[in-house]
Amino acid sequence: MAASGFEGFEKRLELHFTGDEPAAVRMGLRRIDFESLERVLHEVQCTVVSAVGNAHLDAYVLSESSLFVYPTKIVIKTCGTTQLLKSVRPLVAHARDLGLTLCLCSFPEEVAYLEGCLPTNVCSRKASIMRSHMAASHSWHVFTACDPDLVMDKGPAPEDFYTVEMCMTELDRGQMTALTGIGEINPGALICDFAFDPCGYSMNGIDGDRYSTIHVTPEEGFSYASYECVGSVYDDGDDIARMLRKVAWVFRPGAMSVSVTSGSSQVWTRVANALEPLGLKRRSCATDQFPEAGTVVFQSFTARRV
Amino acid sequence: MGSYLSSLLGAPAADGSPESSSEPSRVQAFHSTPRWQLHFNKVKDTSQLMVIDFAASWCGPCRMMEPAVSAMASKFADVEFAKIDVDELSDVAREFSVQAMPTFVLVKKGKEVDRIVGAKKDELERKVQKHRALMASS
Repeated sequence: MAASGFEGFEKRLELHFTGDEPAAVRMGLRRIDFESLERVLHEVQCTVVSAVGNAHLDAYVLSESSLFVYPTKIVIKTCGTTQLLKSVRPLVAHARDLGLTLCLCSFPEEVAYLEGCLPTNVCSRKASIMRSHMAASHSWHVFTACDPDLVMDKGPAPEDFYTVEMCMTELDRGQMTALTGIGEINPGALICDFAFDPCGYSMNGIDGDRYSTIHVTPEEGFSYASYECVGSVYDDGDDIARMLRKVAWVFRPGAMSVSVTSGSSQVWTRVANALEPLGLKRRSCATDQFPEAGTVVFQSFTARRV
Repeated sequence: MGSYLSSLLGAPAADGSPESSSEPSRVQAFHSTPRWQLHFNKVKDTSQLMVIDFAASWCGPCRMMEPAVSAMASKFADVEFAKIDVDELSDVAREFSVQAMPTFVLVKKGKEVDRIVGAKKDELERKVQKHRALMASS
C-alpha cells in the first residue's frame, strides 16, 4: 500500500480488526448493516452497483472501486477520485459498535489510520521506515504530517531544538533492578517516577521547557529501556555527549539505537563519538528528511563484549 | 454453509427481518423444509412464475437487496416470491446448488428457468419481467 501517495491511479486500503468475543469475531464486520456501509461509501464518493457474498466474505462492486468485507478484515480498492482514507474513521466506529477494534499491526495500517484522521489541509505527509543493521523489528518508523501553509510564529523556533531517542536492549541484569545512576543523567531536572510491580520503571523529568523520559522493561529475555530528551542547539556541545554516555553507562545495553530529530543541527555527529569509548560500536546510520519536521538520523550500535 | 453461524450471531434471524414482521410483504419466508415442499408442489401445478430468494442473515449483499425484492414482489403481484434462509433450510439450498448469496432462482412448473447470483437489482427485474411475460402467454 502506498502510504503517502495521493496521486496514484489506484489505491488500496486494508484494515484488520480484532475482538475479544468469539461471537463478535465470527461474523464481525459483515454485521455492519448495509445502510451504514452505504453512508461510509457516500463519504468517499462511491456507491454500490453490485454485490455478492458467500460463507467467507461479502464482495461489493462500487462505482470506480471494489469493497471486500470479511469478518475481521476490510479491503477497499479504488481508482479515480474516491477519497479512500475518509472511510477509515467511520468504519472503525462501526467496528467498535460490534465489539471489534482496529488491529494496527503494521506500519502501513497505522499510517492509513492516521491519514484517515487528519484534515485535508495537513497535506504535507511522509512515512518512512529507516533500517538498522539489526532485524526489521529494530527499524525506526516515522510518519510526519503538516500544513505547509501554516506559519508558526509563536515561541522559539522549532529548529533550535532537537529530540534524542535511545532504545536499548539486552540490558545489564544487575542494573535492571538497581537502576543506579538514573538520577544523575540530568541532575537539574524535576523527577516524577513510578516503579511497577513486579518490575518495570517509568520516569518523567522536566527541566525548564524541556522534558526527558525513561521507560524500563526488565523482563528476562526481552529487556528493554528507552530514554528520550530534548536538547537545544544553544546547549554546550558536550552536554549531549555526556548525557548519552550516562544513559549507556546506567543501562549497559548489548544493543541500542539512537534517533536524533532536528531542524538543521549537526548534533547527530556527536553520538557515535560519545558512545565509542563505552565500547558501543556504530553499525548503521540512516538519514531521512521530513517536510517541516526536520531531519531524522537513525544510528544503531552494538556493545563490544569482552 | 455453516448453520451454526446464525445462532451464534445474536443478530436478527430471518423471521425477525422487517419484511416479515412490520410490513405486509408479498415475499413469503419459509422456515421448515416440509412447509416449503408443500408450497413448492402447490405452485408447481400452476403456470405461475416463482422467484426463490436464497439469503443469509449475515450476508451484507442480501440485506442490500431486501428492499428491492419487496418492491418487486409488490409490483409483480402475479409472481410468487419466496425467501429461504440458507442456514435454516440448508438442505434446500444444497438442492438448488446455492454457493453465494443472494441467489435468485426463477422456477416455473417446478423447473428452474433462470438464476441470478448476487445483488443485481436490474438483472433480477429484467429476468422476472421476461419470464413473467412468457407466463402470461402460456
